[in-house]
Formats: sequence, C-alpha cells, structure tokens
Amino acid sequence: MIGLVSYLVFFLCIVLILGVITLGLNLQWGSTGLFNAGIVGFYAIGAYTHAIVTAAPKAGMIANMGLPWIAGVVAAMAATALVAWIVGLATIRLRGDYLAVATFGIATTIQLLTHNLEPLTGGSHGFSGIPRPLFDVLGSPFAFNLFYLGLLACVVALVYWALERMVRSPWGRVLRAIREDETAAVALGKSATRFRLEAFVVGSTLMGLAGALYVSFIGFVSPFDFVPILTFQIWAMVIIGGSGNNRGALLGALVVWTIWAATGIAVTKFVPVAYAAQGGAVQVILIGLLLVLALLFRPRGLIGEAAQVSRHAEKG
Amino acid sequence: MSVHKMLAALAGGVALTALLSVGGAGTAQAQGVACPVKIGGILPLTGSMAPITKKIAESAQLAVEHINAGGGVKGCPVQLVLRDDQGQPTVGVDAAKYLVEVERVPAITGTISSGVTGPIIASVTAPSRVVQISCCSTASAFTLDGRSQGYFFRTLPTSKTQAFATASEIAKRGLKKTAIIYVNTDFGIDMTRFVKEALPKLGGEITAEVAYNDNQPSYRAEVQRALAARPESLLLIGFPKDAVTIVREWLSLGGSPKIALNNSMRVKDFVDGVGARFLNEAFGMDNAQVQGPTVDAFNQAFLAKFGYDSQGPGVHTQYDAVMAIGLAMNIAKDLTGPSIKDAVRQIHAAGGATVGTGPDEFRKAVGLIREGKAIKYHGATGPLEFDANGDVTGPALVWKITNGEILVDYTISIEEMQALFKKVEG
Repeated sequence: MIGLVSYLVFFLCIVLILGVITLGLNLQWGSTGLFNAGIVGFYAIGAYTHAIVTAAPKAGMIANMGLPWIAGVVAAMAATALVAWIVGLATIRLRGDYLAVATFGIATTIQLLTHNLEPLTGGSHGFSGIPRPLFDVLGSPFAFNLFYLGLLACVVALVYWALERMVRSPWGRVLRAIREDETAAVALGKSATRFRLEAFVVGSTLMGLAGALYVSFIGFVSPFDFVPILTFQIWAMVIIGGSGNNRGALLGALVVWTIWAATGIAVTKFVPVAYAAQGGAVQVILIGLLLVLALLFRPRGLIGEAAQVSRHAEKG
Repeated sequence: MSVHKMLAALAGGVALTALLSVGGAGTAQAQGVACPVKIGGILPLTGSMAPITKKIAESAQLAVEHINAGGGVKGCPVQLVLRDDQGQPTVGVDAAKYLVEVERVPAITGTISSGVTGPIIASVTAPSRVVQISCCSTASAFTLDGRSQGYFFRTLPTSKTQAFATASEIAKRGLKKTAIIYVNTDFGIDMTRFVKEALPKLGGEITAEVAYNDNQPSYRAEVQRALAARPESLLLIGFPKDAVTIVREWLSLGGSPKIALNNSMRVKDFVDGVGARFLNEAFGMDNAQVQGPTVDAFNQAFLAKFGYDSQGPGVHTQYDAVMAIGLAMNIAKDLTGPSIKDAVRQIHAAGGATVGTGPDEFRKAVGLIREGKAIKYHGATGPLEFDANGDVTGPALVWKITNGEILVDYTISIEEMQALFKKVEG
C-alpha cells in the first residue's frame, strides 16, 4: 500500500509541475488568444537556468554556480522573462498561426542550443547532479517526494491565486477584450501590443518556473526533455480542461496525465504477455480515443470559461 | 463546474490510477519468494524509435521465456512487466516509478534513449536502490560520474572499446607522439577522452587535441594547430566527408602518412576521396561481430520463435540484459535491489563454469548456483563481464588500406579487450 501512495505522490508532483505550465498557457491562449507553440523553449530556459545556478561546480561545466534552490528558481523565472520579452518584441505583432510558427521555430532553436552548448548544458549527455532541495536531509525518496508535493501545492496555490486576481482585474478584462475584438479594444485606447506582450511574458515566465521545479524534482535534465510533443500535450491539457478557466487548466493537467499513466498501466494489466510488444500501440490508440471522446462530449472543455469576469457585471 | 465537481474529478482520476495499480497481486510462495517474480521493462514501443524497438522487445520476451523454461528465479516463474516510454522522459520516469513502487520490481531493463535513461537513474532507480540494465543507452556519464551508485549497467560496448583498441594499436606500432583531430559531437568527445586516458598508460603521448565542426570547406587552421608540435602520427576521429578534406590538407602541409582512423572511415568513398596511394600507412579500428556457439544458439532460437532473423541494433544486448537479471536474481540471497546489484557482478566469475544462452543452459546455471558453484555467463553478445563502472567491452578489429583495398588486419578478441581494459583502468 505504501508503494501505491508513494507512486501517487510522485504522479501528483508531475501533475502539479505540468499544471504550472498549463496555467501559463491558459493566460496566453485562454485569456489573450496568443497561439504559443513554443512552450518547451521557455520550459527549457527555466530548466537549464535552474540547473546551472544550483548545480555544484565540476570539471567540464563552465558555469555551474552551486547557489541555493530559491536562487535557482528566481534566476529561472528572470531568465525566461527576459527571453520571452525579447522573443515577444520580435513576434507579438504576428497573428494566430503566424505566431505559432514563429514560436515553434524559436523553441526548436532553443532545444538545439541546449544540445550544442556542451560546456554550459552538458549537451546530449545531459546535465546530471542537479541538487534536490533537502533530499539528503529527508533521507528516503518517499519523504522527499512528499515534501516536494507540499512545496508544489504551495507554489501552484500561489500562482493560481495570483492569476485569478490578474484575470479578474481591469488588466485581465483588457486581455479578453483584445482576444474577442482587437480593433474594438484599440478603439477604446488600449495598446493591444503592450497587453499582448505582457501576457506573453507572464505566461512564459510561469513555464520557466515549471522548468525549474521539474529539474529540481528529477535531478537530471537533457535536451530530450524538450521535444515538441510536450508542447502539444500541454495544449491538449488546456483544451480538455477548458481554456479560459484556471481551474480548467489545472484539471486538464490532471486528467490528461492520468489518461497517459492509466492507459500505460491498463495495457500491462489487460494485454496478454505475448502481445506486450504491441502494448505501446494500444496505449497510444487509447490516449487518442479518450482525448477525442472528451472533446466530443465537452467541446468547451471539462470546465469551460466562466460567462462573466467582473463582479460588477449584472448576473445573467 | 464547481470546485466540488473539480475535487470529485480529481479524486476520480487518482482513484482510477490507484484501482488499475492494485489488481492482480498474485501470491504463491516458493523459497520464501512471492511468485511470480516480476522484472520491470521500459522501452520506446511507440515514437521515433518504434521501428527498431519491436525486435528488442521480442528479444526481452524470448529471454524471459528461456528463464522460465529453465527453472525461473528461485523456483518461481518470471513475469516481465513491460511499459512504453514513448521516447519521452516524463513518460519513462512515470513508468519506472510505477514499476518500482506499485509492481515492486527489484530490477528494471531499459531503456534506449539516453535522455530517458538518465532521468530514470537520477530520480527512480538509484534513489530507490533498484538495479537497471540497459541494452542501448550509450551516454558515458551514466556509468562514469557515480550518480547511479553502482545500480546501472549496460550490455552494449560504449565508444570506450574502440578508443582503447585505437590507443593500443597506436602504441603497438611504436608511434610515440600523436595529434588528435576530432569531430565536435558526443561521439568525438568521448572517443578523445578515452584515448587520452589509455594512450599514456600504453606508452604514447598526445601532442595536440583539436576539435572540428563538420561541413566546413577547409580545415587548414585545425590541421596547422595539430601539426605545430610535430607529431609522428595523426588520429582522426570523425566522418568520411570532412575527413577527406582534413587528410588531404594534413598531407599537403607535410603531415605524417601514419594516420589512425575510426570506424566511420572504413568505406570506399573515403579511400577514393583521399587517393589510395596516400593511405598505405593508414590504419583504423572498428567494432567486430561477436562469434561463438552461444551467439549462434541465440540467433537460432530467435529465428525459430519469430520467423525472422535477429539482426538489428539492441537485439542481442537486450537478451543479455534480461538474462543477466535472471541469473543475478538466482545468485542473490534475496530479491532486493542491493543483493541483486552485487550478484550481477558474479554472473561472470573467474574460474566459474561456462553457461550459455537458451533454456537448457539457464537450467544448468540454476543447478550450479544451487550447489553454490560459480558461473561464467557467455551470452548473445559473447562473454558478459561488467567492469567497475557497469560497462561491458566487445571485440574490435584493426583494418588497414593496401593499394586502395580495405582489409581486416586482425581481430582483437573480447578476452584480449577485457585484458586491455584491466591494464588501462587497473
């Protein structure tokens, strides 16, 4: 039984880390309508910044600093914000799918950089020896995972609370106005570019935060962590959960990752051993089927966007 | 949807995973061990690696069949719980955690991509003290930097085999001063590092190490830096297209024609590109195909079972990874990770009785282990002996170029390679 609890704690840690990314994307897509297809790029910046800042110096790695965990988290968010701002300056005027193509290209570039900047990132060998907070003090992997789950729950609660405040503020209403009708918003004197850029930077910074949380949980990072499929998994989470709703974004992370893990377990339980080599294909079919069913029955997501965002508006 | 509904959904998701996780805890006892004995498997059954993984997974299943037909582990049948990592680190880590915590496997075989194997070692197998044997992950750092705490092994030779063979051949030819020009990839960097480790101990000296980036029109600058210390020979590690340019510039600037080459240059295009008459003193290294009765027995068993041959990357090494776990589990005093880890080192004990592949040989091994005798496993990849880092070596061959023909000079057997490893690493 303790094994099952231990697995579920680990599983929920991953869900919460993914949840931080979905919250970031939800601000960009759900609230503002920005089609960011470069999620893994910002996630990678946060992950590697944290790794470099916190890992102890060692031979062959030129930039390791060995600073405390919190310094790594702050640096990861700062570095991601800076990169997102620069990327945003260049691309934010692009509409819809043009922005998607541009950000996708940038994410691929960032992934290739992590592959090739070997003295900085460890290249394709990966970056090992990233400290996990209090891992040695806590002794067992289970105690660490439990502690980390608590830490993640606090971080997610804080991020969720802050985002809820933001999207319900006048600033948040402008984002929605831009998403619905940019021309109208501009006619009301709002600078669409500025607001879009702000939403882009804040959302991407959360993705960088998630990267820092991920590497200090796993203790290892390599360029394979940032392949494009992750971007589309995150998108699936936000859409299944209900874009435009922060609770939906978190729920989507839970539901989609549960589908991923549960189908894998189901395959080992129900596919005969002789066909285990084909089990992977069965799992992928199941994942696809469940995602399609979710969208057929709940086209607006499991929890859709709330109809109104201001407490001043008339209830309707 | 309200907060309540959301909490309900959350509970539902967790419960679903939990429900699936519990079922099927088979319980029969034999020798104080719960039957069946489970071994975890993680392979990229889908995704970009899927085409090569199918045969690898089948090879793992064949090994489990052979173990079961040969008496299983401590009287229990063995069950392979195989999960798909989809080539994605988070998916692989989740699968590994599930296998270790819920299925309670004390040993895992997997996986292929180094980017998935790395996080599994760091976050699951090493902290939980579970043995992990990979058929296919080559990144040298896993076994070198000590983070696996001795729980990670792999059954395929790393680039170290070729590098040590190269150093040995350079020393054997009496070339004291060698310059290295290498391609700036993890392959080139690893090769250079291992040659550097071995050559001084075998009586040679490295005068320069120059990295190059591929697809440049000219490499004069690199060649001049390599030539500066007047080396007697050149070791060129790279790929044929750029190597042609480098060798031509090296020779035209007065470099020695005694050139050592890696396996990629064992192609006609390279020889023709440089010009055969310039290469009569050049030589190179490659990994050699393992031969022997235990290899043939595996190949025949695979063909008989699946109806097609066992050629392909990872097929032989995967069989040995599972067999190593099966043998080690029989040797270990109990089925915990630490005991199995120590036992893995005893499957190829000095002075042990030789055991091979297939169910009958496994039965023989189990019998010997029961009697308290040492065994020496010869697998689908030949004699399987892990070094201090958990790596294995393989046979190598030395080739030469005579009047434009690429000829095998001689083969370095796996036993000779193991002796060479001991000489270099102590």
